[in-house]
Amino acid sequence: MTAVTKAWGWLLALSAASTGLAASGLTGSGLALPVLVLSGLKAHVILRNYLRLATAPGWLRGFDLGLSLLILSFAALTLAA
Amino acid sequence: MTPEPDALRSLRSSSRGHRDEETKSNEEPSREEKSKTHDEPPPGHLPGELLMWVLILSEIAVFGAGLLAFLAVRLSDPTGFAEAQTHLHRTGAAANTLVLVTSGWLAALASQAAEAGQVRRLRLLLSPAVLLGAVFLALKATEYADLFAQGIGTETHAFYTFSFLLTGFHAAHVLAGMVLLALVGWLATPKAVETGAAFWHMVDLVWVLLFPVVYLL
Repeated sequence: MTAVTKAWGWLLALSAASTGLAASGLTGSGLALPVLVLSGLKAHVILRNYLRLATAPGWLRGFDLGLSLLILSFAALTLAA
Repeated sequence: MTPEPDALRSLRSSSRGHRDEETKSNEEPSREEKSKTHDEPPPGHLPGELLMWVLILSEIAVFGAGLLAFLAVRLSDPTGFAEAQTHLHRTGAAANTLVLVTSGWLAALASQAAEAGQVRRLRLLLSPAVLLGAVFLALKATEYADLFAQGIGTETHAFYTFSFLLTGFHAAHVLAGMVLLALVGWLATPKAVETGAAFWHMVDLVWVLLFPVVYLL
């Protein structure tokens, strides 16, 4: 199995986990935080394997840092509502 | 004839070796070498087209700012936003996530096929990738039609202003990506296919950030 196919499997699993959490009836921070973490993980997999940033670890860390800050901002605004 | 001094012999041999190297370096690289060069950018360097990375960064910044604005405006009316969100097609949007990540997988495989010089295979992979883009748009159109049938438009509530703007702008990127994938499938060069696939992955990346914020939180 190639790295790209493994990444696809991970993306399906992470998406299913997001859907499962949303369908579980959780609300507020109990839903928001895990769903946003799963979203960040999906973004990491797309950058690493689909966009091939695994070959440029420094750039991957930079993108991960930027997206983490963005997702943390999403979480802060969600929890403040 | 006097015997050739060792130093002169050594110089001639070195010069001949240098000429051989020059000849080698001027030769066309083999298919394998070309493929290796394309497969593996120098360690630490961004793979693919630099301009595509500039576009990817710009799109993340634009959608990120839009989503932050959406969440900031939500602070003024959390109840209204929560009620408005119930009218969206959450199941369809979740299905669309699976559709896009699967389409992205096919595009990534097509990029690998292009690097291996497998034109027929890359076209066979890109065709369903484009079709899945059409499935995404069809599900999105169903949601919009349902909202319009309920009398909901961009002016109904701030939630819909943002959700139509963000998802509509993303859908426009999906449409552009479908055209681009069809075009690079026709060109069928490794560089073109990699660039088209990178655009498609960017569309995928934006959706995984947009989906939870607009549909789930």
